[in-house]
Amino acid sequence: MTDFPTPCFPTPHAIKQQLQACRSKEETFKALVILSKALPRLSDEEKTEDNKIKGCESAVWLITVEDAGRRYFKADSDAKLMRGVLVAVISLVAGENQQTIQKMDLKSELAELNLSSYLTSSRSNGVLAILKTIGQN
Amino acid sequence: MAFNSYSLRNQFPILQQTAYGYPLAYLDNAATTQKPLFVLDAIQDYYRSFNANVHRGAHFLSDRATNRFEQARERVAQFIHAPENSHVIWSKGATEAINMVAYGLEHLLQQDDEILITSLEHHANLVPWQQLAFRTGARLRVLPLTSNGEWESEYQKYFTDRTRIFAATQVSNAIGVSTPLKTMIQEAKKYSAFTLVDGAQAVAHYPVDVEDIDCDFYVFSGHKMYGPTGIGVLYGKSQALEILIPYQTGGEMVRHVAYQATEFNILPYRLEAGTPHIEGAIGLAAACEFLIQQDRPALLAWEQKLANHVYTRLIKEGGIELYSPEKNTTLVSLSVPNIHTIDLNAYLDSKGVAVRAGSHCAHPLMAQLGVSGTLRASFACYNTLEEADQFCDVLLEAIEILGDD
Ligand SMILES: Cc1ncc(COP(=O)(O)O)c(C=O)c1O
Repeated sequence: MTDFPTPCFPTPHAIKQQLQACRSKEETFKALVILSKALPRLSDEEKTEDNKIKGCESAVWLITVEDAGRRYFKADSDAKLMRGVLVAVISLVAGENQQTIQKMDLKSELAELNLSSYLTSSRSNGVLAILKTIGQN
Repeated sequence: MAFNSYSLRNQFPILQQTAYGYPLAYLDNAATTQKPLFVLDAIQDYYRSFNANVHRGAHFLSDRATNRFEQARERVAQFIHAPENSHVIWSKGATEAINMVAYGLEHLLQQDDEILITSLEHHANLVPWQQLAFRTGARLRVLPLTSNGEWESEYQKYFTDRTRIFAATQVSNAIGVSTPLKTMIQEAKKYSAFTLVDGAQAVAHYPVDVEDIDCDFYVFSGHKMYGPTGIGVLYGKSQALEILIPYQTGGEMVRHVAYQATEFNILPYRLEAGTPHIEGAIGLAAACEFLIQQDRPALLAWEQKLANHVYTRLIKEGGIELYSPEKNTTLVSLSVPNIHTIDLNAYLDSKGVAVRAGSHCAHPLMAQLGVSGTLRASFACYNTLEEADQFCDVLLEAIEILGDD
């Protein structure tokens, strides 16, 4: 193992506080921009077609690494807001085992974080595809 | 300027609202326009006073519905200067109209025939031709146009004796340029190709005269010109329409049916299987009427002024790539290096500005421009200078917030 567990992520609790304090779409936007900075970028070699998630308007890559039964995730996107959303999602699941992750209701957890507008199944939306990938493999 | 977008705006009830506490600036008009009361009332009136199926049972309401439905066809024919009402075929929209032609002409295509489109096409005027080429063994060829909508050199070599179909957009939805339509159509005619013009982005802004364009087919959607969704038009010259094999069959389009054979009805009914979108046709006719009642050159000048205002402000800022032309367009298409257009879009949305980010259903054109997508602000007659400035202000804020690493 090299760089796992996920480095310098804010705790789920801190993320929850930040996002739930947002009173408007604009504030959520700004909070996500700040969160996005916590996501280590992937190298070009890691951004393979295999790691790419289909169904996102922006490019999103997700890599799952398993260590002693626990799962960690590395991810990247060319859109900043998506990187912020990825930080929120990964913080919820990082370090858990597969069964726990599968049982989690990530959709409602994200809705609690004021992120439901990213979860509508519009054409441009890939967050659901990301949740599916995280829960599946 | 005599034209006043503020009084026109009052006729669009949807615009009188706020979004997340900000004044709603609707600048996604190239995707779909809002509808004036005149159109909304016409649709209501249809259901309130004369809803019945058309061309069927002769009774009081059916007669009224049929009359108004055929008057709607006449109104649309006038609007695009079609010589006969029967040259106007109802469709779901531009997409369906293009598909009607692509299927309808299939029986004429052979291996190695050529279908020519331009490099500025919306997927709607690309994929149906590509699939037709796959089915028939014909070749899809692409006439390169520059992002100014001009010819590349040696354009003539793209038109050949094998060119059977030439399909081109009048105005690009992604970058707002007009194409050299009439010259292209004339060139295609030298080779006796069928010509189709995608007018989806033209009809709301420019007066359309299909006789002057002299194309075989002209298509557009109602919802992009202040009319309802789900209704559009396939205009065709009569010989061109006659040659089409109906791509849908069923009721209404037949004259006599026996188990052994069916005799099809005459135009326009031959190409309109099933109960039509009556309410849509009536709404679209009302939209034509609405536009006819306006000072259209003044509307166009206003929309172009708004686009030019944004262009001029943004070019001064620097650091913004603009893909739409400076003048003679009603939209602005741009990108900012190292910032995703989706992020810009999200910030604009959070402050009440509705625009569109993405490839605008034109992947090959985006590849030609070397971007994955653009941010597009597209104007309609009801937009104001304040909204154009709101767009610029919020965009610059977004760049500031997003561009800090
Ligand atoms: C240039 C152009 N052609 C065709 C279409 C397709 O129109 P519709 O989706 O209404 O069929 C559009 C709509 O975006 C367009 O902009």
